[in-house]
Amino acid sequence: MSEGAKTSANGGGFRFKVRGPRDFYGGLVLIALAILAIWASGDLPGMHGFAFGPGTAPRLFAGLLAVIGALVALSGLLFDGPPLASYAIRGPAWVILGILAFAVMIRGFTLGPIGIPPLGLVPSTFAAFMISIYGSSEMRWLESLIAAAAMTAFCVGLFVYLLQLPFQLWPWV
Amino acid sequence: MSELLANLALGFSVAAHPYNLGFCLLGALVGTLVGVLPGIGTVATVAMLLPITFGLPPVGALIMLAGIYYGAQYGGSTTSVLVNIPGEATSVVTCLDGHQMARQGRAGPALSIAAIGSFFAGCVSTVLVAALGTPLTSLALLFGPAEYFSLMVLGLIFAVVLAKGSVLNAIAMILSGLLLSMVGSDLETGAGRMTFDIAELSDGIGFTNVAMGLFGFAEIVRNLEMSQESRDLVKGKIKGLMPTRQDLIDSSGAIARGTILGSLLGILPGGGAVVASFAAYTFEKRISKNPERFGRGAIEGVAAPESANNAAAQTSFIPLLTLGIPPNAVMALMVGAMTIHGIVPGPQVMTKQPELFWGMVTSMWLGNLMLIVINLPLVGIWVSLLRVPYRLLYPSIIVFCCIGIYSINNSPTDVVIAAVFGLVGYWLNKHDFEPAPLVLAFVLGPLMEENLRRAMLIARGDATVFLTRPISAGLIAIAVGLLIIAALPMIRKRREEVFVE
Repeated sequence: MSEGAKTSANGGGFRFKVRGPRDFYGGLVLIALAILAIWASGDLPGMHGFAFGPGTAPRLFAGLLAVIGALVALSGLLFDGPPLASYAIRGPAWVILGILAFAVMIRGFTLGPIGIPPLGLVPSTFAAFMISIYGSSEMRWLESLIAAAAMTAFCVGLFVYLLQLPFQLWPWV
Repeated sequence: MSELLANLALGFSVAAHPYNLGFCLLGALVGTLVGVLPGIGTVATVAMLLPITFGLPPVGALIMLAGIYYGAQYGGSTTSVLVNIPGEATSVVTCLDGHQMARQGRAGPALSIAAIGSFFAGCVSTVLVAALGTPLTSLALLFGPAEYFSLMVLGLIFAVVLAKGSVLNAIAMILSGLLLSMVGSDLETGAGRMTFDIAELSDGIGFTNVAMGLFGFAEIVRNLEMSQESRDLVKGKIKGLMPTRQDLIDSSGAIARGTILGSLLGILPGGGAVVASFAAYTFEKRISKNPERFGRGAIEGVAAPESANNAAAQTSFIPLLTLGIPPNAVMALMVGAMTIHGIVPGPQVMTKQPELFWGMVTSMWLGNLMLIVINLPLVGIWVSLLRVPYRLLYPSIIVFCCIGIYSINNSPTDVVIAAVFGLVGYWLNKHDFEPAPLVLAFVLGPLMEENLRRAMLIARGDATVFLTRPISAGLIAIAVGLLIIAALPMIRKRREEVFVE
């Protein structure tokens, strides 16, 4: 490999440059996932006699995943590949927050001293809509409020009245 | 032959029941409605609409799902033609000529040829499904655990070969999917596996949560990154839906060839519809007398891939209904739906519940008929849907998905799991990992493990059983061969890279 020579000529020490960071870090995460799976299934019994135990297959596939992950990482180390893609923060953050808000509000939630009561379908849907819409930079207030109200009405109509699913609609039942 | 007709007659008597007809129509309409939304492909549409079929009787639910499937696919091609955003991989090639036709003011003929081609392909492949159903079911009886395992390996290898991008990445996704499917109670001993003592995980991770996260939420997050201004919607009224005589003559050969190619490729496990549409387009271009027309609005370029992907979509039911093995992500969702209704997909469906099997087969044909008779004239409505700005569309999709996921088990945890998979999907995309093989492996996982364990037990721990039983050995040999063919160009490229230095 001429790689070491190239970087040392730039004044750095003798070290590898990662040539395909997207593959390299992707591979590392796969290895981490495999290790996590092996650790998590470590307490399960393995083969007894000819029979697979509950832990055999998870460890088998996790082992294979570790090997593949290492190959992916290695190919990222040795061969030129695309750079790391940039991540947006705003979109994913608000979208996920909106979804979590729905999960927390629909049935209520307690974590130690903090707790909120079940708030029902209408507030949960409205809130999830209004939070996730923040993910777009083109968001406009009035339009969003109208759309949120309309979507909430549509969902209540579809799921509660048409499909007859058992939902609590409001906080006060 | 008479048996085939009798079976089809039974199917029609089920599918033509007013209720089922209604479900089929409703499915086709709702499927189109959601499928038309830009950036939402067939898989996401089916995943989103899965919960609304839960309250129905099993036959009605499956008929409605099949309707949703065709509707979504048709909706996807509408978006391809009008906005130049392919809903999913199957309609990528439709964009090429379909959108050009739309820009030349021929959106109407493009859409109707797509529907006509799909309908013709649907007719042929329905008969094919019906004809191949019985012999393949008897073949399934020859299959032991070793053969089933090898067949699933072959299916997963197909998914690897057909995935775009690196073979290694696709294999990694398969293995991750298999591992994820093992979270929860062990089938034989009931021991909790990799649950991290979280009570909600002891039943395993729900398939719909994974699919909704990876295909629904992740897609939205990704779309938000792209500027929405760049959407190239064909403005103006769509006039003249009917194709001219010349259009029909030009496209008839393409439709026939697309149908044949699609039917054959669809039976292969691992995502036949995508390859089918690409193969059909390439084939048309190659045999055309003036290939330079392709990409500039050639009607054959719409007719061939649309017929092919519909034929493939339909014949991909064959492995599911006869062997119980879902060949692609949509079929995997079908398995999920069947399981919820207490139906185990496989050869026994046909013998024990013939009305379900044949009802579903014939409803595919009816679904296609409805698309052409009812859906096509509604094209104006679907177009107006495309004018809704994405900034209002995506929060609506999100809340709809949230309610849908929650309503399956009344479990807020499921919603959180889907959110997590949304982030996972976003990350996977950034690292060029494709979610489709993961989802397929996730569904096949439990089946695969069960058959692997059983085969090993019967063979008294001898792993060579997969190579000594002839059918199993044949399947494994094909799988290995495919893998080598797929890996060779990559290895050669890498070697050249090394030698260049």
